[in-house]
Order: sequence, then C-alpha cells, then structure tokens
Amino acid sequence: MRIKKLLVLSSLIILVLTFSLAFTKGALGYYPLPLPGVRTLAYWYLITTLNPRYPSFTAMSPEAVTAIVWDYRGLDTLFETAVFFLAIVGALALARGISLKKALDNANNKDNGKGLSLICKTATRLLTPLIIAVSASIALHGHLTPGGGFQGGSAAAVAPLLILVIFSVYFLLSKGVAEKPMLVLRTAGLIGIYLTALAAVLIGLVTGLNAYVFQNQPKLDAPVGIPAQVSNALISGTLFFFNLSEYLAVASGFTLVFMLLSIPEEIVRSFISGEAHE
Amino acid sequence: MIELNTLTYLFMAVAGVVSLIATYLAIVENDLVKAVIFSALQSTVYTIIYYLLMAPDIALVYIPVSVGLYPAVILFLIKKTERTEGDLEGSGGDSG
Repeated sequence: MRIKKLLVLSSLIILVLTFSLAFTKGALGYYPLPLPGVRTLAYWYLITTLNPRYPSFTAMSPEAVTAIVWDYRGLDTLFETAVFFLAIVGALALARGISLKKALDNANNKDNGKGLSLICKTATRLLTPLIIAVSASIALHGHLTPGGGFQGGSAAAVAPLLILVIFSVYFLLSKGVAEKPMLVLRTAGLIGIYLTALAAVLIGLVTGLNAYVFQNQPKLDAPVGIPAQVSNALISGTLFFFNLSEYLAVASGFTLVFMLLSIPEEIVRSFISGEAHE
Repeated sequence: MIELNTLTYLFMAVAGVVSLIATYLAIVENDLVKAVIFSALQSTVYTIIYYLLMAPDIALVYIPVSVGLYPAVILFLIKKTERTEGDLEGSGGDSG
C-alpha cells in the first residue's frame, strides 16, 4: 500500500519535472513561455495608472491592480460582486426559517462553559482586534498598496470565524453580531457599490454634463469626474469608495454564511421538521 | 554564487513540487479532516508562488481564503456528515 503510494507520487513528480524542463528548454517553442519584458497592454496600464499628464486616461491610483479591477475593467468586478451576492442569497434561502435567536432560546445555550480552552480564548481576544485592524488597512489602503475590498473583507471574515470556532455562535450573538445587522451591513455595502458606480452619472444629471456609468476621472467627452484628492490625501476618485463598500459587503456576507453553517445539525433538523415553531 | 533569479525559480520549483505532493495526499487520504489540512498546505505553498511571481494582491486574498475560510467551510461541512470517506461495500477509493 505504502510502496504503491510512493511509486505513484514519485512518477507524478518525475512527470511534472520532465514537462517543466521541456517547457523551459523550449520543447513546444517559446510561445507558451511568459515574455521576459513588459507587454504593450501592461505598459499602457503602468504608464497611465497614476499620471496627471494624461488627465483623460489616468485612474489616479498608484496601485495598478486596483485601478484595473475597479476602473479600467470595473464592470467585470461589478458582475463578480453580483455573483458573490447571489451565492450568499442562495445560502440564505437554504437556511430560511432558521432563526439563530430562536435556536439560542430553544437550546437554552448560554456561552459559559462552551468553546475551547482559556489559552485559545485569550489568544483570540488579543488577535481579533489585530485582524480587524489589518483587514481595514488592506481594504482602505487598497488604492495605494496591494490589497483591496475583497482582500480586506475576506481577511476581516477570519475574525468572526475564529470567534465561532473558539468561543461559540452564541457568544457571537451575545456580542450583537446577528443575522439582521450582517444583512444590513451587506446591503449597505452593495448599495454603496451601485451608488459609486452611478456617482458620475448623478453628478452629470445635476450639472447637465455628459457622464458615463463607472466613470472615475474626467474623460475627453465627459468632463465630470470624482475628485482624486481630498484635502491632499489621495483617494483615487471612486476606487476608495468601491473598496470600502466591497469590504463591508464581503466581510458581512462571509460572516453570515459561517454563522448559518455553524448552527448545530439537531437544531437545523428541529427547524426543518417544524418543532421549533411551536 | 547562485544568481538571485535562479534562486527564485528554484524556490518556485520546490514549492510547486510540495504542492503536487500535498494535492496527491489530499486526494488519496480517506480521513477528510487530514485531506483538508493537506489541501490547505497546498494553498499555502501556492501563496508563496504567487508572491514570488510578484502578485501580492492575489497572495493577500489567497492567505485568508485558503488557510482560514475554505478549510473552515469544509470542516463545518465534514462535521455535518462523516469524517472518513468510504464505499458501502467496504474499503477502496484508493485508486484515484
């Protein structure tokens, strides 16, 4: 058994190494290899991403990736967010009728005596604010340094997850992190994303100038733009608001799903069979 | 003296081989909890590769998702089903 495993594994490794060697030595020609230099498209993005000399092309953000994600290719990210939103809606629909509050009352569970040891709990108490702070800095500096809304949001979701595993879902509920506030936060994030996407158009409607959906900086035929700087701090127009809204939506969406997943199976069953409604 | 570029590529190659081993072990492992840990190891190695390929944005999203969120979801789901994988007829499933 063990020898068979080792044989399969070593032949797999030899196969992969042989193929890698063949590719790097140009066995399939040099076409599949990445080019050593910067491609024309990448050069174009890099030269315009923070360049006030091309006012109608720049995104006014030193972080080219965030600029591409939320400005140059913003519509793709909007639909990506919509897919995530629909996935959470699906999870919520599966868990419809299951109330965490009722589960708490029914099971008569208080958080005393639940969860892992005191060492784990103390470490989690110390770590949680750090995780939130780091995730906020990833998200809110997303237009300046690597990172962004989704990165920050998924990092922030680790904090409630840790609390769920190390304490219990009842502890999280007693701290006010319940379904309703999370739903409200997530909806606020999504509304923020849509309002930011429409911000230029709304300004254009008020001022009577031409403007586009998802417009960040002023363009040649659309002189409306979101200011790139606020009191000398670079916010890169819409990018900061997109990151902030996405951060809220992703963090609360993940938290919501984890809370629903962590309900004990017996309680879910009792809700499905309808006993808990009486 | 080895060049820095060569060292980076060597490190990536080692990381790739480790990820291959972890993936294989995750597939053949019958204990699902261990399989999740192998899978998380593979993702951790991928994070290193992403960082070496100068994609810090992807590395930043890959760390919480691959080490925190994804194993947690799978562990929650394993808790709701059974820990070991097996056929109704008995042992097996090692052929994959």
